[in-house]
Amino acid sequence: MSKALSVKEYFASHPNIKYILFGGKGGLGKTTLSAATAYWLSKRGKKVVVFSTDPQASLTDIFERNIFGKGEVEIAPNLFALEIDADKRIADYQEEIRQKIIKMYGEVPKEVDDYIKSSAAEPAMAESATFDAMVELMTSGAYDYYIFDMMPHGHAVRFLGMSEILDAWVNKIVETRKKAAEYGDVAAVLSGKGSLAQEDKILEELDFIRSRLSFVSNMMRDEEHTAFFYVLIPELMPILDTKKALEMFRQFNIPLSGVIVNQVYPVELLKQKNVPEFLKNKILMQQKHMKTIQQEFGPLIRGIVPMFDREPKGLKMIPEVAKALFGEE
Amino acid sequence: MTKNEAGEEKKESEVKKAIKGLVYGMAMHGMVSYALKTRMYLENLFMLITMGDMLGVPVLPPYYCLRLLPYCVPHIKTWKRTLLRERDVTDSVFA
Repeated sequence: MSKALSVKEYFASHPNIKYILFGGKGGLGKTTLSAATAYWLSKRGKKVVVFSTDPQASLTDIFERNIFGKGEVEIAPNLFALEIDADKRIADYQEEIRQKIIKMYGEVPKEVDDYIKSSAAEPAMAESATFDAMVELMTSGAYDYYIFDMMPHGHAVRFLGMSEILDAWVNKIVETRKKAAEYGDVAAVLSGKGSLAQEDKILEELDFIRSRLSFVSNMMRDEEHTAFFYVLIPELMPILDTKKALEMFRQFNIPLSGVIVNQVYPVELLKQKNVPEFLKNKILMQQKHMKTIQQEFGPLIRGIVPMFDREPKGLKMIPEVAKALFGEE
Repeated sequence: MTKNEAGEEKKESEVKKAIKGLVYGMAMHGMVSYALKTRMYLENLFMLITMGDMLGVPVLPPYYCLRLLPYCVPHIKTWKRTLLRERDVTDSVFA
């Protein structure tokens, strides 16, 4: 069996990669690895943006700089980070709709205004706003690489599945709209009256929505331009979660580029004298799970990142993580 | 043109209009009504699948529905009235 490619080798063998996604359970280091990858690529002269779709995003902590809701912030030369404030984005969007209605009809009827207000409370609204921000960023074409720190597994699957479901839903609406327009035209021709001009506007909007949704569906399945890495640690639950995720992504026809094992305690510590029992057991437990990981995901393992003796954050530690992941700073 | 000729012409155009109206009423009106009614049903269906949660019918994330809202504003009242109208047997008999 051939040796699994490292992340660096994977990038070298896929030179057209533009979108890089990190998925996995919460708290396993997706944000850290996203930041390290962004750092490593930016050091190679590539303009990179790292974006967190996780509502519990921590790019602000990782880069030790408040970037929440501040747009694309330049952290270092060529390295940009973005952490969206979904609530603010929803509020701005609602105001945009309100202004459009005022422009068209002079006022916003009370029941319509109530509807706009209540829509913010819908559970999927924040997810949709994040999804929309993600597509907007990708279609801007301003960067060489777009790195996404995805929300934890369950949400991520729903998030990715959403584009599929919405796509089917929009197709159904377009179909209804087109049929309604056909009947309208027939009536207009037979009675000698003109047809409604707003028809095209609605279809235009539906086309816009459809283009955004299909962009994500296509991007996720495009192995030439997209790399999707799953992060896990050598413990039972994350291993089971990764197996489940692999199955789910297979169902959505989303190819997985590889897994990255994070927070691995250095086995060399066992050779030292007076290793505390606690640490010894932890290392042995991890080594046992490393064997399972090797059996389950062998050819997909793209990197093994050690557990650090301090929190991997800030522009001092992120290069260390990049070094561990790519073999060089 | 004399007053008499103008009167004749007016009469002729009125006759033409009446014949046109008769032909429309006999041959076209039914078809136009049918097309408009079908269109109305499809409009109602469209409103239901995009704005259904206004009436408590859950729809997919309203984020993108809001983009369509400005174009639906003039139809909301009629749509709600149609959908919430009480119906009885005579409705289906005389529909």
